[in-house]
Amino acid sequence: MDFELSEQQQLIRTEVRNLAGKFDWGYWRDLDRTGEYPHAFFNEFAANGWLGTVIPTEYGGSGLGVTEAAIVLLEICASGAGTSGASPIHFSMFPPMPIILHGSDEMKRRYLPPIARGEMKLAFSVTEPNVGSDTTQLQTTAVRDGDEWAINGRKIWCTNAQNADRVLILTRTTPADQVAKRSKGMSLFFAEMDRSAISVRLIEKMGRHAVDSNELFIDDLRVPHADLVGEEGEGFSHIMTGLNPERIVIAAEAVGIGRAALDKAVHYAKDRVVFGRPIGRNQGVQFPLAEAYAHLEAAELMTLKAAWLYDNGLPCGKEANIAKLLAAEAGCDAVDHAVQTHGGFGYAREFDVERLYREVRLYKIAPISQQMVLNYLGEHVLGMPRSY
Amino acid sequence: MDIIVTLKQVPDPEAPKETFRIDESGMKILNPPNIDPVINGYDENAIEAALQLKEAAGGKVVAVSMGETGATRALKQAMAMGVDEGILLQDESFADADAASTAYVLARAIEKIGSYGLILCGRQASDWDQSQVPSGIAELLGLPSVTAVQKVALQGDTVRVERILEDGYEVLDIHGPCVVTVSNEANKPRYPTLKGIMTAGKKQIPVWDAAELGVDAAQVGSAGALTRVSKLYVPSFDGDCEFIAGETPEEMGANLALRLRELKII
Ligand SMILES: Cc1cc2nc3c(=O)[nH]c(=O)nc-3n(C[C@H](O)[C@H](O)[C@H](O)COP(=O)(O)OP(=O)(O)OC[C@H]3O[C@@H](n4cnc5c(N)ncnc54)[C@H](O)[C@@H]3O)c2cc1C
Repeated sequence: MDFELSEQQQLIRTEVRNLAGKFDWGYWRDLDRTGEYPHAFFNEFAANGWLGTVIPTEYGGSGLGVTEAAIVLLEICASGAGTSGASPIHFSMFPPMPIILHGSDEMKRRYLPPIARGEMKLAFSVTEPNVGSDTTQLQTTAVRDGDEWAINGRKIWCTNAQNADRVLILTRTTPADQVAKRSKGMSLFFAEMDRSAISVRLIEKMGRHAVDSNELFIDDLRVPHADLVGEEGEGFSHIMTGLNPERIVIAAEAVGIGRAALDKAVHYAKDRVVFGRPIGRNQGVQFPLAEAYAHLEAAELMTLKAAWLYDNGLPCGKEANIAKLLAAEAGCDAVDHAVQTHGGFGYAREFDVERLYREVRLYKIAPISQQMVLNYLGEHVLGMPRSY
Repeated sequence: MDIIVTLKQVPDPEAPKETFRIDESGMKILNPPNIDPVINGYDENAIEAALQLKEAAGGKVVAVSMGETGATRALKQAMAMGVDEGILLQDESFADADAASTAYVLARAIEKIGSYGLILCGRQASDWDQSQVPSGIAELLGLPSVTAVQKVALQGDTVRVERILEDGYEVLDIHGPCVVTVSNEANKPRYPTLKGIMTAGKKQIPVWDAAELGVDAAQVGSAGALTRVSKLYVPSFDGDCEFIAGETPEEMGANLALRLRELKII
């Protein structure tokens, strides 16, 4: 057993930390207020080659694994960038997964190099307003018309759509009553964000204001057959193969945010003097922070284990789900205690834990809720009856 | 032109000040726990200057560092930035070196590397701030040296530098091999790219010990040190806060100025 990161992974960690450190708390505070996209941050990471972390070398990336992707996103979050910084990078690393795993060589050649260079921004659209976690019921359809497909329907929570050039979109191509299993008959497209056929409505939300999430109204979006990812009818399983890596990097992000908040809280607890002594001298302040630290460490360990399994081609569903569950809990708790440690100032924007508090909450909901993770563990790991 | 850059790993100057620790009896600065040491900031300026010269005029950049095993990380980082080769100088006998015995080992290593037109160093190391090693290297190798430059350029075999003065700078041309120390005004060191990190990952870092360098045991490490630290301590700073009174902001300002003069601060 070896728990040590490789020398290269350590260097990746240090360099991402340094690069993300160029963008200070004020940068993110301003973008959170204005809702402006973090273009400068994104471009800096693109220029230094980080967007291509998991893209194979023959398509212009670095061909590294989910472990490295997790390290990159954890450090971005730990710098204080939070989800505002992680999401733009996340959306260049994760949506291409199905293309990397199932796309044709021609498709990879066309799209992966510009994604790696940061010249093509992506969105990912599965969730629908009327369907929720029960993905196989989705209502957006794609119908073949000669060499094209015509897509119609409504999607919700499509992150990045305001700036995206392309969207990875899951549709139904064979009606649910005509397939043996509900998970069949769905297809995945890597469609151009053709704004004449897709109207994009920004959703006002609790946090991560710099990175948009949207409702999409899709009216006769025409997609060439060449942009069908993998096999027709297998879209759901193609998406599923990318879900464990996503859970792993999501877990890493939650740990990173927790760590950023904890760092702030520890400094504050040492500095802030009340009743004639630093508040951190009180066990009531110190213990929750120490406990949060321990939970973050444990969540990180599970995240790295899941990543290691995935990168070594081993099954990792159990570990990826547990990592996501524990990290979301640990991240939210750490930020909550950080806010509490700051007292009234924790509620003030200027002290930044307030932003992290709004951002980290997302990890218990998306990309999969804690309950659905527990459903998975109960059913698939513990072998109990399916509860839904 | 082939360029050699010398590097030192130092405790991270960005580390929170409360983590600063020294070993008073051993008279050493301790690296703060859980905070990795970093490349001396001025050495990063030297690396950047070397890489820019290489990009403009070709040649090879080799980095050398005398240090513990962990210093390979500093060399790997330099290689990730674009340095072609890194060499670690390491031997038990090199421990507790001062500027003189460090310069001696580095000079021997530079002789062993052999091919170079320019040696770039950081203008000082941020741990002890002595700025003596580069001049020591120049002395031992019989080379001209120019310290604290804000710009370095090549014109054929001539090195043109801008040396920082108190009230401006002077331009100097140096013919043939020389030692130049680079100041932070010179550039903004680049961040390694992911591709650079991966290229560096594949390269080996040779380790040269005392035998490999053929050094004189009496001139290295503590044996070769010409200076002795007689006492090392952290000075204590006692803060005292005084509020200056006044009816109006102007009056408060005037009272503050008077008080500062009384304290001989202005
Ligand atoms: C900021 C943000 C960005 C997002 N970005 C994207 C994106 O880019 N692309 C995309 O496709 N989606 C995105 N999403 C959507 C996200 O993946 C979903 O919100 C998430 O999967 C939950 O689905 P839902 O909102 O439909 O909740 P529902 O499925 O409606 O669930 C509501 C609640 O009921 C619980 N619940 C439902 N069924 C069960 C059950 N059987 N047992 C126990 N509990 C149950 C859930 O856990 C949840 O708490 C984003 C969401 C947010 C908030």
